[in-house]
Amino acid sequence: MAFSAVLHPAFLLVVLPLKASLSEVLGEPFQLIPEILTVSIQSKLQQVNLQWTVPNLTHQELKMGFQIEISRMNASNIIWVEDYSTTVKRNQVLHWNWKSEIPLECVTHFIRIRAMVDDANYPPQNSWSNWSSWKEVSVQVSVAPNTLLIFPKSKLLEEGSNVTICLLYGQYLYNVSCMLQKEPIHGEQLDSHVSLIKLNNVVFHSHSGTNIYCQAMNATKTPFGTVLFVSKVLEEPKNFSCETQDFKTLKCSWEPGVDTALTWSQQDSQNYTLYESFSGRSELSDHRNSHNWKITEESQETYNFTLTTENNLRKRSVNIIFNLTHRVHLKAPHDVTLETVDAKKANMTWKMHSRGDNYILLCQVELQHETEVIHECNVSVHMSASYLFSDLEPDTEYKARVRCADANHFWKWSDWAQKAFSTPEAAPSQALDVWRQVRSENGSHVVTLFWKPLLKSQANGKIVSYNIVVENQDRPSEAEHYSVQAPALGTQLSLDMCSYKIHITANNSMGVSPESVMALSNDSGHEEVHEKRIKGTKDGFHISWEPLSGDALGYVVDWCAHSRDQHCDLKWKNLGPNTTSTNITSDAFKPGVRYNFRIFEKSVQQNAQLLEKQTGYTQELAPLENPKVIINNFTSNSFILSWPGYDSDFQSAFIEGYRVYLKSKEMQCHPKGKRTSLSDNSVLCEYEIKDPEQKSFTVENLQPESLYEFLVTPYTSAGQGPNETFTKVTTPDENSHMLLKIILPMTLCVLLIVIACYWKSQWVKEKCYPDIPNPYKSSILSLIKSKKNPHLIMNVKDCIPDVLEVINKVEGPKTQCIVSGKPHNEDVSIKPPSSVPTEDGSSGPVPFMFFENFTYDQSAFDSGSHGLNPGPLKDTPGQLGLLTPPDKLLNVLEKDYMKSLAESPTEETSLIYVSQLASPMCGDKDSLVTNSPKPVHCSGYKRQMAVPGRLPSLALSESNSLTSMILLGQGEQ
Amino acid sequence: MSQIKNQLAQLNGSAGPLFISYYTAQGEPFPNNVDKLCGPNMTDFPPFHPNGTEKTKLVELYRIVAYLSASLGNVTRDQRILNPNALSLHSKLNATVDIMRGLLSNVLCRLCNKYHVGHVDVTYGPDTSSKDVFQKKKLGCQLLGTYKQVISVVAQAF
Repeated sequence: MAFSAVLHPAFLLVVLPLKASLSEVLGEPFQLIPEILTVSIQSKLQQVNLQWTVPNLTHQELKMGFQIEISRMNASNIIWVEDYSTTVKRNQVLHWNWKSEIPLECVTHFIRIRAMVDDANYPPQNSWSNWSSWKEVSVQVSVAPNTLLIFPKSKLLEEGSNVTICLLYGQYLYNVSCMLQKEPIHGEQLDSHVSLIKLNNVVFHSHSGTNIYCQAMNATKTPFGTVLFVSKVLEEPKNFSCETQDFKTLKCSWEPGVDTALTWSQQDSQNYTLYESFSGRSELSDHRNSHNWKITEESQETYNFTLTTENNLRKRSVNIIFNLTHRVHLKAPHDVTLETVDAKKANMTWKMHSRGDNYILLCQVELQHETEVIHECNVSVHMSASYLFSDLEPDTEYKARVRCADANHFWKWSDWAQKAFSTPEAAPSQALDVWRQVRSENGSHVVTLFWKPLLKSQANGKIVSYNIVVENQDRPSEAEHYSVQAPALGTQLSLDMCSYKIHITANNSMGVSPESVMALSNDSGHEEVHEKRIKGTKDGFHISWEPLSGDALGYVVDWCAHSRDQHCDLKWKNLGPNTTSTNITSDAFKPGVRYNFRIFEKSVQQNAQLLEKQTGYTQELAPLENPKVIINNFTSNSFILSWPGYDSDFQSAFIEGYRVYLKSKEMQCHPKGKRTSLSDNSVLCEYEIKDPEQKSFTVENLQPESLYEFLVTPYTSAGQGPNETFTKVTTPDENSHMLLKIILPMTLCVLLIVIACYWKSQWVKEKCYPDIPNPYKSSILSLIKSKKNPHLIMNVKDCIPDVLEVINKVEGPKTQCIVSGKPHNEDVSIKPPSSVPTEDGSSGPVPFMFFENFTYDQSAFDSGSHGLNPGPLKDTPGQLGLLTPPDKLLNVLEKDYMKSLAESPTEETSLIYVSQLASPMCGDKDSLVTNSPKPVHCSGYKRQMAVPGRLPSLALSESNSLTSMILLGQGEQ
Repeated sequence: MSQIKNQLAQLNGSAGPLFISYYTAQGEPFPNNVDKLCGPNMTDFPPFHPNGTEKTKLVELYRIVAYLSASLGNVTRDQRILNPNALSLHSKLNATVDIMRGLLSNVLCRLCNKYHVGHVDVTYGPDTSSKDVFQKKKLGCQLLGTYKQVISVVAQAF
């Protein structure tokens, strides 16, 4: 048994080669048929892995070719054929991968393989071996009814690539529609349960993936979907370079390109790896765009770097090779100093980090002034260097900077090292540009001097003051000195009518500028020349003139920048001797503003003589307003329109004339006018006044009592004035003026009479109808109110002054009295009412008077039955004594008045106006008592008041405030 | 109890913004297909009966909050990976989970103190760890849609 076991392998070893040799001899090719060992699937990668071996291989190594076929759905549907050559070793397991474009879950695939010997050392095998048997490749996926499966799931792919989406339908599911983000996508039906959607050139949507979702029309479940993780395409690093500053470290940098990271751990950001081939070192960069490579081998001069970037889908590399000494990026210079030698020179020094004095460096030096490079220079230096800046401006701030590079192998400039410095001041280098304005005032010259500020380059420092020396030409020894502090740009001098020479200089801390000289002659400011009109453009004015003499030192053109303002803001322009024209430009020039230019010729003696005056506009504008028109000589047939002129400085253009528009119905235009019919049947006549100096216009041939409307407007080359509302005027009647001639004097006469009457009214009043005093309105009433002493009241009927006359004739009849009632008290009846003092002095009753003014009794007046006849009072018992008690008095008064009123036809509705005599001493109670004998002197007329017919009784009954009483005294009175 | 009510009101107020923030962060087609993709049609969500007794409601609330806490924890974890830049969503999810933890504690305390209920059987949502990304997005959206609807009812019931 053991023997046979040993013999069997030995037998096979002998027989098999024999068999092969026999096949060759017999002409039957020997076939090496590959044998498939396993077929596996990597679903995520959609990859089929095939493993096979070549049995019966007699050689240790044999170069063979294999052909692999893949079918889809069924074996006959071959979709892929691939040849694969390799050297096969005996008993070797061979591998081959194939990526399916369709997710393997969706479709069954079949795979088979055949082989052929392709080795030069052996006789060629003329034909392929037989195929291996088909192997089925499938992923078992069960789809539940009403369910949809979508493959691949969470696939990672690169932007721009293609992908096939596969849908597996469960039972009862149909009409499936799918969306990619917002866009619908369509597929093809592979069989009843499978459909494929091909997406070409997919685009990147988000780092968190691109959603695809599908839903069947009859689906009862929520939509199904998948996410495609579309990565940006990995870019090759750009501008990869390495350099050193100190020969210890190489700093390599590059532009990394877009970050291809995706979420859900699908893909991290791409990494960057540096590999140096000479040293064999490889380092993974910590940064996306740079890496510091330590120089370990000092002797290594040449470096060969490969920068590789990689993500899950792609790998990219770039390579550079360089000599270290050619990649030196020096550090910025240090210890930079700047020392000013004088106002125009400065010396800069600096030092460099260098490997030694033998190395030559190239340095670039720059001088900046206000961010502008004004000087640039390259210098070759060693470790330390200096540079002298010359031709600098005094009192100026500069910035000097320097950078260096390796002079032998220029790679890059170092960073700049800079230092700011200022040059010291120097005396002003330029004379002032001066001008003057001269006007005569009270027999002297008022000279206003102007100068322009020196430019910074001319001032060479801060101008502190301006010195003015006024030299009298007639008395040169008498020079006057003035100093004007900066920043003033002018001053005013008052000089007599002599000739002067004025010297002006500018001073700074370092010195004085060259002087500017102006001469003034006796007649300066008195020159009269013709004014010429010029036409400007939007850019300014072109001014030309005729030279006065051949030896002019130069010319000056001056003008006011603000011609309309009181502030002139004088501008001037100095011109050379051979100039006869110039262009005056200014941003301040405005359209519609008149500018007046004066051209002066400067003589050798620095005297300026006025040559010409020129005036004009950069752009003429239409007038902005119409004149205010006054109508004169207004008659029924004509009137004259007149208007004032415009101030020339306020004209928006040269006024060429005026247009008068006259509008009316049924009007005949003057032959000189232009007639236009308007839509409302009215006629518009236009008259043109071509003389701008004519400021009046006579409108003739008008109809009396007609309405006319007119408008006067100026016109310029740019148009006429605004279309304002026409002024309306109606011509008077033809006779109106006649009437006026009569009525006016009459009116005046009447007016005079009225004035005269009014003037004499007091006299007339006194004479014709003097005022009757109204005791009711006396201020004494207030005293009565306070004292409540009705005994002081005297009835007017007791005090009729006429009674005085009667006293003298005691026996005489009393019927002639106005108030003819029988006196109730003898004292009253026989005592004089006013001027006669009482026998017992001050203790006697004061004969104040009380009147009823029937003049104001309307009813009485109206009826005429009473008039001044106090009839009713005759019968009244109202002739009360002065000592009548108050209640009695009130009663009497009430009865008296009420009775009289009752007898009046007006009865209750009538008003009684009561006049009141003022108290002798208004408000002075003591005086009232003591001065009672002289009541007449205190009497006066007070205002009158209307008392309704019922009022007296009411007023008296309620209070004593309103009574027809006069207060005579206190207590016993 | 007032704390429970306050916490419920807080959750009710933040549920809407959380839902919007979630489906916006998922990208299309979620914002335009909220009804289809995020409809509140979860079958295993714990029930709630607003007309029940307080004890019943508290027990049901406990189950709901326990379910939600666990599920939202998973959603938060997934969104940190899937949408690392959606910081607003993360903070809303974290805040919601934090409130739910407090609410869970308060509800249990109330059940224990008042009703002497020391233990409540709870259920959790299905394990989504094996689901693909789209499914996770969708399930999270459905969960938040359901949560928004349920929390409104629950908040009103207390």
